[in-house]
Order: sequence, then structure tokens, then C-alpha cells
Amino acid sequence: MTAQHTETSRLRGLMLVAGREIRVRGLSKANIISSIVTVAIVGVLAALPTIIGGDDGDEKIGLAGTTAAAMQTQLDAMGGFAITTYGSADEAEQAVKDGDVEAAITDGTLYSEDGVDSGLQNQLDSAWQAASVQTNLADAGLTDAQIAQALTVQPLDAVTLGASGGAGSPLDYFTGLIISIIMFMMLMTPAQYIAMGVVEEKSSRIVEILLTSLKPWQLLGGKVIGLGAISLVNLVAMVGVGLGVAAATGMLADLPPGTASAAVSTIGWYLIALVLFGTLAGGVGSLVSRQEEAGSVLTPLIMSLSLSYVGAIFLLNAPTSTFAQVLSIVPPFSAITMPTRMAIADVPAWEIALAIGLLALAAAGALALGSQLYKRSVLYTGSRMKLTDALRRAA
Amino acid sequence: MLEIKDLHKRFGDTVALDGVSLSAAPGEVVGFVGANGAGKTTTMRIAMGVLAADSGEIVYNGSPLGVEQRRRFGYMPSERGLYPKMKTGEQVAYFGELHGMSRAEAKRSAGDLLEQLNLTDRMGDFVQDLSLGNQQRVQLAVSLVHDPEVLVLDEPFSGLDPIAVDVMGTALKDRAAAGAPVIFSSHQLDLIERLCDSVSIIGNGKIIAAGTVEELKAKEVKQLRVTVQTPDDLTASLPGTVTRDGDDYLVEDADDQEVLRIAAAAGRVTHFAYDQPSIAEIFREAVTR
Repeated sequence: MTAQHTETSRLRGLMLVAGREIRVRGLSKANIISSIVTVAIVGVLAALPTIIGGDDGDEKIGLAGTTAAAMQTQLDAMGGFAITTYGSADEAEQAVKDGDVEAAITDGTLYSEDGVDSGLQNQLDSAWQAASVQTNLADAGLTDAQIAQALTVQPLDAVTLGASGGAGSPLDYFTGLIISIIMFMMLMTPAQYIAMGVVEEKSSRIVEILLTSLKPWQLLGGKVIGLGAISLVNLVAMVGVGLGVAAATGMLADLPPGTASAAVSTIGWYLIALVLFGTLAGGVGSLVSRQEEAGSVLTPLIMSLSLSYVGAIFLLNAPTSTFAQVLSIVPPFSAITMPTRMAIADVPAWEIALAIGLLALAAAGALALGSQLYKRSVLYTGSRMKLTDALRRAA
Repeated sequence: MLEIKDLHKRFGDTVALDGVSLSAAPGEVVGFVGANGAGKTTTMRIAMGVLAADSGEIVYNGSPLGVEQRRRFGYMPSERGLYPKMKTGEQVAYFGELHGMSRAEAKRSAGDLLEQLNLTDRMGDFVQDLSLGNQQRVQLAVSLVHDPEVLVLDEPFSGLDPIAVDVMGTALKDRAAAGAPVIFSSHQLDLIERLCDSVSIIGNGKIIAAGTVEELKAKEVKQLRVTVQTPDDLTASLPGTVTRDGDDYLVEDADDQEVLRIAAAAGRVTHFAYDQPSIAEIFREAVTR
């Protein structure tokens, strides 16, 4: 032959398959539209607290009367208030009616349109108490220095006695919840697409041509890589937009300091879990020849993913329990439960290392099992192939 | 030179192949004929490495066929398959890349082939939106896109319209003329006869007849056909076993020179030749034997 072709290396075959998945599925109109919609929803959700809570975080408070100066000092010290001082109680009252301020405090009276929420009420109460105490002490003839000394209180020193640091804050809980939901969705979607893609190639019989120039592992691996990459891009876009909107609306400062590292470690967990679930999905997908049958062979996989998710939700409520500890180490559940647990509680390094080791081992096992299943059953057509037959069959 | 040597394959209790050997020299077009279930597809799948044989081997240019060499083969499986939701041009080029071409080469080759197949204006369409006949043409493009060194085609003509049959036939001849060994199976025996240099007939997992078209025909020659312009009936005067086929005499088991002498003496001989059986007749003869 005259034509000289460049040798297709093993890696190139793998990347060609992955590239095709990305081009055909990732860049399909359906995927782009659904990604944009999802990212938009995440963006709106991230902005929601700000939209509901007003355009900036400061509560607008009106002050009037003789205590106005003392209250202003207290509220300034607390922070988070935009204070307007009015000349009289009537003016302050009118400002509340007009909606210029959320609430107004004159000598001993709190005006509001229809009550204030309990958080604000508490803050205003303690400011009022502190201002009153200060005024009373001053009236009793103490100097400012004496008053300051009298009001200085050492805050409670918190000591946690639980093994792993006890339940986290509501924000940690929220972070854990988001991680578990994202992990669940981001593993479910590519697993289903991988199985569907395998069945598509099988049912259309194109696999027979593919296998003349590709090894089964390249075909399966390329699918996992390609569809995983699409999910990862969606994931990064979602997280990026979410964090971006949070940063723009000033909410980011309220997030726990570990958020960024949690995001990074979640991606690491995700990649190992993707190999585990993706290769298994491809393997079981190859057992059937028609798209309608794909659901039945995927059921065990979807069940274990769902159980991991349910486990993660349980774990959020009891992060220090033995059950949570075990669940977050045993694969495949650890894929979702460990990153969730890490968000809400301090996990000893050895437990994390053990969980990673076991999950990686399970992923390697799944890779071997999935590709064996795939190799043995991908050319078999007809009714659904039994798992035991596939394992017994000579490749 | 592609040699398929002594393949054996069982599926459970069924013996699919029982010592099948077949070869195609450079530039040779080999027709592979057999009834349904005789083992054609199994043989071709094993040759293309998508199925493993129980025993036997595939030898290419003197050494066992490897993955890298096989990548330069062109294959059309009996059960056609394309990605339904992939654009035609993209799909053909993708297969070119899988077979080791660079992206640019693959795109150019896909464009050229689809132009030859009158599909240039459908390059941007999904394969599922093409008619069945056009999908067949795309299938052909997929098996030829990488300018293959060897062609192994399972029923390449089935489902093709006459124009596509011509395109396919020309493609096979062109590849063979460029030095490629070509093996294809077909039930259309007239096509086999027209296109093939040699034929292998398979029945129940065994090769039951093989050789060049001439050899096979010569082997199957049965009778001498003689047409003589004479009012007399020569049935009794001609030697050997004589039967009438219309105005012709069919003579068997006789010295042809003697037949010619007697016929020429009786009148003007306008036809004197051994009947050449068609491949179809040879096939029928072989499988019923």
C-alpha cells in the first residue's frame, strides 16, 4: 500500500474514543442546554438569600431620643446595621411606616411594620440592654474606664468531649449536604450514559467494526474518560458559578474556611468513584443488547449509589456514630459518605487514607471486572446475558 | 497475502468451523460462498479479530496477523452498524482516525469518499436521518476511508441499489488492482462470477470447493453441446450418451473429436463447446453433493 499511516498508539485510541464522546454527547445541543439551565439554577439558588434578604446585608435601623447615642455605639460595635438618627420619635415612626428603615428604637420603644424576626429582635434587645446598663452605670457615677472594665466578660471557652469533634455547624451541614447531592448526581449521570453508550454500540452492531481497530479496554476506558470529563466540566461550571455568585453577593465570606479544600478533595473522590461506577456500568451495560433492558442491569448499581446518598444524609445527622465511621470507609459507600463526613466532622487521617485505599482498590477491581464483562459479552447479541455466563465465557 | 489456516470454532455443542482454510493473494478477489449458517460470518469475524478461534491461525505476509496490521484492513460486518446520532462526515473521519490516520488525512479522505458516493450534501446530517440505502453507502465509506491494505467484506452488496452495487464493485476492483487482497461473501452469485478471480465454497463449516473460477468451471464440466444444421436426427449416430436440448445435442462420455467428425459430416456445425456451468450451478452442485 502506498499510504503511510501514523501508528495509532494505545493512548491515542483511548483518547479518540473519549474525544468522540465529548464531541457527540458533550457538545450536543441537549447537553449544552441542560448544562446552561442547571448552572443558571445553581446561580439563582446562590443568589437567592441575597434577593430575599435585600440588596445588602445591613439591617436599616432608625434611632431617636436620648438613648440614641448609646444605642448607636452598641449597634456599631455589633456591626451589620445601617443607622439613621431621627430628631424625634414621630419622625422615626414615620420612617418605619415609609419603609425607609426596618425598625426604629426610641426611648424604650421598638417600632416596626409587622414585627421583626427573632434574630434581629435578639440583637436589638442585647444592644438595648447594654446601652441601658452603660447609661445606668454612668448615672451611678462610674467613669468610662470603670464601665468598660465592668462590662468586659470573658466568653465561654468551648471544650468538645465527643470523639470526632461533635456535630458541625449548620453551614458545615449545608456544605456536606451539597457535596453528597452533587456526588450522587454527578456519578449517576455518567454511569447511565456509559451504560447507554455501550448498549447503543452493541444494538447498532457498530462495536464489531470498532473492535477491529480498538481493544475492548480502550473502548470502555475512553467512554468513562469522555463522559466523566463532561460531568466534571458540568460540575466545575456549577461550583464555579455557585461560588462566583456567592462571592459577588458577599455571601462567600460566610462560608466555612474549608470550603475550597473540600471542593478540591471532592473532585479527587469523584475521580476514583467514577472509575468504580463507570467501569461497572459499562460492564453490566454490555450484558444486554437493547436499550430497554439497560435499566434492569443497572438497578444494582443505582441502588448502591442511592444507598450511599441516603447513608450520607444519615451521616450528616450523626457524624460521630460508629455507623457513620464504618459507612465512610467501606466502598462503594465511602465514595459519597467520606467526602460528606469530612465536610461536617474532623476525620482522623488514617481513616481517610484507609477509605481512599479501599475505594481505589475497589475501583481497580471494578476496572478489571467491568472490562472482563465488557470484553466477553460485547459481541454477544440476543437476549440478556446472564452475569454468570459472562464470567464463565471464554473471552 | 492473507491466509486463513485451518480454523476450528465451536459454539457450545455446535461446530461452526471445522478446519476452514482460505487465502487471498495480493490483487486477488476471492468470493466466499455458502448457505446461511455455513460459517462465512464466523470465518470473517475470526479473520478480523473480533472473535477468537478455538484453533487455527491468520497469517498475513508470512507472519501471524497482529493488531497494528489489522488496523489497516477494511472490514464490513454482515450486521451493519453506524452511530445513529453522529454526523455522517464526522463519523467517516472518526473511523479513519481510529484506523491510524491523522485528523486532517481522515477528514480529507472522508470528504473524497463521500463525494464519490454522492453524499457530499449529507455530510452534516445525522446518520439516522439518511435513507437505508444511503446508510449503506456510509457503511462502505467507513470500511474504505483509511485506504485499506486488505478488504474483508461480509455481504457487501446486500441491500444496495444497482448504482451502489456498481460503486462497490468498482471499489473492490480498484483496491485489488492496487494490490490489495480482497475477500468478500455474497449470495449474489452473478456478482461473484463477474468480480472474483477465485471462489471458495463453504458448507457446514468446511470448505467444499475452492479454486479459480476457471478451475471450478473446468472441474464441473459435464457435457458437450453441439448444434448442427441438418434435417436428420443424429441421436442414434453420435457416440456416447446423447440427449436433446431443443435443437441442440448434449453429448456425454464420448471422444469429442469423433463427435465433431460425425456432426460435421451430417451438416454445418454452428456450435461446438463444453457447457460452462455458472457459479450458481457449481454452488448448487457443491452443497448438495
